Amino acid sequence: MDIRLLRPSDIPHVQHANITNLPENYFMKYYLYHALSWPQLSYVAVDVSRPKKTPYDYPRIVGYVLAKMEEEPADGVQHGHITSLSVMRTHRRLGIAEKLMRQSQRAMVETYGAQYVSLHVRVSNNAALRLYRDTLGFKNEKIEAKYYADGEDAHSMKLDLGFIREQILDEEDEDEGGPVGEMGKKNEDPEVEAGPKKRKVRVGRGLGIGDLVEKNESQKA
Amino acid sequence: MPVVLSGKEQSLFRTVVRNYEDKQYKKGIKAAEQILKKNPKHGDTLAMKALCMNSQGKTEEAFALAKVALTCDMKSHVCWHVYGLLWRAVKNFEEAIKAYKFALRLEPESVQIQRDLALLQVQMRDYQGYLVSRRAMLAARSTIRQSWTALAVAQHLSGDLAQAEGVLTSYEETLKNPPSKTDFENSEAVMYKNSLIAEQGDYQRALEHLESAGKHNLDRLAVFELRATYLTKLDRTEEATKAYRALIDRNSEYKTYYDGLIKAMGVAPTDHKAMIAVYDEYAEKYPRCDAARRLPLDFLEGDDFKAAADKYINRMLDKGVPSTFANLKHLYSSDFKKEVLPSLVQQYIDSGKSEKSEEPKRNGDTSKGASAAFYFLAQHYNYYLSRDLDKAMDFIDKAIELEPKSVDFHMTKARIWKHYGNTQKASEIMELARTLDTRDRHINTKAAKYQLRNNESEAALKTMGMFTRAETVGGPLADLHDMQCVWFLTEDGQSYARQGKTGLALKRFTSIFNIFDVWQEDQFDFHSFSLRKGQIRAYVDMIRWEDQLREHPFYSRAALSAIEVYIKIADKPLLNGSNGTAGLSEEDAAEQRKAAKKARKEAQKAEREALAKKNEPNKSTREGDNDPKKKDDDPEGIKLAATTEPMNDAMKFLTPLLQFSPKNIDVQLAGFEVFIRRKKYVLALKCLLAAAALDREHSKVHSQSIRFKLALDKELDTINPKTAEVIKSEFNLIPASVPLAKFNDEYLSKHKDCARRTLSGLTTRRLLSPDASPSVEKDIVDILKFPTVTSEEATEAYEVLKSWKSSEVDTFKSSATQTWPKATIFA
Ligand SMILES: CC(C)(COP(=O)(O)OP(=O)(O)OC[C@H]1O[C@@H](n2cnc3c(N)ncnc32)[C@H](O)[C@@H]1OP(=O)(O)O)[C@@H](O)C(=O)NCCC(=O)NCCS
Repeated sequence: MDIRLLRPSDIPHVQHANITNLPENYFMKYYLYHALSWPQLSYVAVDVSRPKKTPYDYPRIVGYVLAKMEEEPADGVQHGHITSLSVMRTHRRLGIAEKLMRQSQRAMVETYGAQYVSLHVRVSNNAALRLYRDTLGFKNEKIEAKYYADGEDAHSMKLDLGFIREQILDEEDEDEGGPVGEMGKKNEDPEVEAGPKKRKVRVGRGLGIGDLVEKNESQKA
Repeated sequence: MPVVLSGKEQSLFRTVVRNYEDKQYKKGIKAAEQILKKNPKHGDTLAMKALCMNSQGKTEEAFALAKVALTCDMKSHVCWHVYGLLWRAVKNFEEAIKAYKFALRLEPESVQIQRDLALLQVQMRDYQGYLVSRRAMLAARSTIRQSWTALAVAQHLSGDLAQAEGVLTSYEETLKNPPSKTDFENSEAVMYKNSLIAEQGDYQRALEHLESAGKHNLDRLAVFELRATYLTKLDRTEEATKAYRALIDRNSEYKTYYDGLIKAMGVAPTDHKAMIAVYDEYAEKYPRCDAARRLPLDFLEGDDFKAAADKYINRMLDKGVPSTFANLKHLYSSDFKKEVLPSLVQQYIDSGKSEKSEEPKRNGDTSKGASAAFYFLAQHYNYYLSRDLDKAMDFIDKAIELEPKSVDFHMTKARIWKHYGNTQKASEIMELARTLDTRDRHINTKAAKYQLRNNESEAALKTMGMFTRAETVGGPLADLHDMQCVWFLTEDGQSYARQGKTGLALKRFTSIFNIFDVWQEDQFDFHSFSLRKGQIRAYVDMIRWEDQLREHPFYSRAALSAIEVYIKIADKPLLNGSNGTAGLSEEDAAEQRKAAKKARKEAQKAEREALAKKNEPNKSTREGDNDPKKKDDDPEGIKLAATTEPMNDAMKFLTPLLQFSPKNIDVQLAGFEVFIRRKKYVLALKCLLAAAALDREHSKVHSQSIRFKLALDKELDTINPKTAEVIKSEFNLIPASVPLAKFNDEYLSKHKDCARRTLSGLTTRRLLSPDASPSVEKDIVDILKFPTVTSEEATEAYEVLKSWKSSEVDTFKSSATQTWPKATIFA
């Protein structure tokens, strides 16, 4: 199983893996929004050994992590967020989820100066809880009551990424200057321009990108 | 003469515009009407009213009004702009571009119109037009980086890499101070420029640029990967070696990096010893790394393979990793490895059993290793290259005995039943597996899929409904559409097609077609969004992928299924045509005509009702909701199925297939079937020749060749002589001198061991001489005696006999049941 960066052409199969594994689903445009806003943060696990059936076969995705930076962090601190993570049942316990997460976390620090990464997980999801808490070192932040559409509570979890920052500093010690600073970047307006003639076409999958920004808070995995 | 508004009315007009922007369409229309009371011919107001109405879903009225607006004021850019927006909303982009261009001619300074035009041009891939627009936009706003980047992208997409690079450089030269290291937009612009240099093939310069301008780039991975690539291309092997090592240290699960490293080290692909040393080093360095342990199994042979595989398998089974087989099955292309792997697992079981009684060590659970091993062997015997279903069943039952609640084991058991051809049992066991872990959607998905394969459409939807969002109006099916659940819609459609529910089948396949339309439309907002975000490389990647969107197997699978259904519709009336023996009985035919008539009537009724509804005020449309969800006026697909021109309808699915997947033989074969029925002989021939180029001996290429020749001989008088000449000279699949029957006999004897080709030859023989039917039917039954015949091939043969109403059907059935006693398909 290759672990590599997600490409736009992977998205149909990522969407397939998501709707196969999880109840929190998204239309194509939401994946595009991730892949085109933070192309460094989302990773996939690919089954490269499958024999091709036609010249048009796309790599089969057996696991993915869909990640983003918080656009307007309430606490003012740059941080990443895991929108969705899953691995096909046929490929679980190979360490895929862990490795996907680690790649994404590193890029969050390197490219966007993330201080920490956050996520939500169902209180009943033991496999994921073990992965986040025991393997990756996430801490429980709080419980969000009835976070999920079906009424289940979520653990809101957080991982301080300071250890990655230090690791990077060690690695690049000989280079002058720190490789990663605070992102001094202003928050640009993420909305689709609201000029007088700009139309949005369809409810749901036809949303403008601006609507996706608002939407993502209620649709996390 | 255009009407001129008073001061008060002008401010009212501004209110209309504002209302529109705020999506308060009702208010906007009210204000517009106030103006129109006094100035009924004020073009701009009429146009704005039309725009508001359009947003309320009243497309037709909006168009009518916009036209009135234009006749009132042909010289108003507002009227033309609105007209363009209306076309854009109904996705007629050509007309929209025309209207925008008119508007722009009247108001060349309008940023808004210029931008709307540019976005449509790139959406339509009108790169020449886009370049013109982007140049004008740069001239208007040359101080911001976006304008320059946008022009560079336009040049890049139109194929002019050097110019694109030049534009980026020009902008850089305008900067007085170097941008800060954390300036993300700049960081990405540097990498974009670097990709342009590399795309021109100048790796030396690309490397220099990367090491200077890109040195501290924020996209570390890209810098690392590109450096490694460039160094390799430039033969700087020592540095390339280091670069790949750095990459593996970042991510040790990417085969590309190991390949790059081994190549850079100058290790020959035959020098397994040196290669294994590399992998061993990383296996040791990264205890949790899988790739370094597994990849050597790809190239190792003999005892080396045995030793490495043994180590790997022990490690995985000890841990009880359920996906061990999935991770190794690709090795089965080697007969040797196919033998070795199960024997190693068997050894593991034999040794583990004795260990078990002494000391329970494996993760404190002795059964873990053993059950994982049984599970491996079950999958082994279930795999198509090493299939022995009875053994598979035996092993899975052993595994289940050890862990009666294992979802994975039951999943595999269901799969074994599937391969037995017993969809009923497969569905039952998968449902049992589902109940063992009702919170896992993956197993839920599988249960639904197996229900569909067993044609339990309603039950499947109910299963899916356990995980769809409860609040979606329209229930699970609507949610699955909203969430673009391609696999379900495709399988559901295919299930309906098997059940003969043509309308619902076409309905689902059409949904897939529409989803691809949406996916194409989805890129629109990113033409502007990505420039603002500054993520240019990802955007260009997206554009390139969207250019090929419909080559995706998700599309071809649904489209081919749709075409198959349309062909069935087209052939139905033919069945009771002149060829009496092949046709249906009179009774059946009458039944069918009645059904078709009923379907057409229902479709007409549905259409009438839909029209009536359209004229009612759409009450459910709320203010602010700019997309009244249109009600589906044909939820069952009755209209689709009642088509009188199925082959025309099939073209909608076929055209993108031929454009994007021409090297898929099934596409060319389907193309032939459609064109031959439409009597488009040149196009049919084109497909046939393309298919023959892909696989000359394909069973369908053979039968289509003969059918083509027959059709040609029959229809020669109706074809334009010049065209006929062309066809004759192009058609080289059957030598003119050889009689068709002989040609067919030769094919049959050449492929006498292949069930599928024999079936094709036999049906063709019957086509050539209907009198041969009784002997042909007997010969088809004999196909079951072929040593290599599969149950799929047997099913195809069975379907052929059934379609002929052959008297051999029962003989075939009982004989097939003996070969596949557990299968339901011959029931
Ligand atoms: C949760 C999930 C992503 C884990 O994927 P995975 O690739 O199998 O996980 P990994 O192999 O990387 O596991 C890493 C570690 O996590 C823990 N873990 C993972 N699955 C576990 C399970 N079923 N039970 C206990 N611990 C588990 C283990 O500590 C494991 O390390 P180990 O194998 O050395 O013991 C996967 O089970 C999944 O897709 N589940 C359904 C979707 C889902 O719940 N996603 C998370 C939403 S927030």
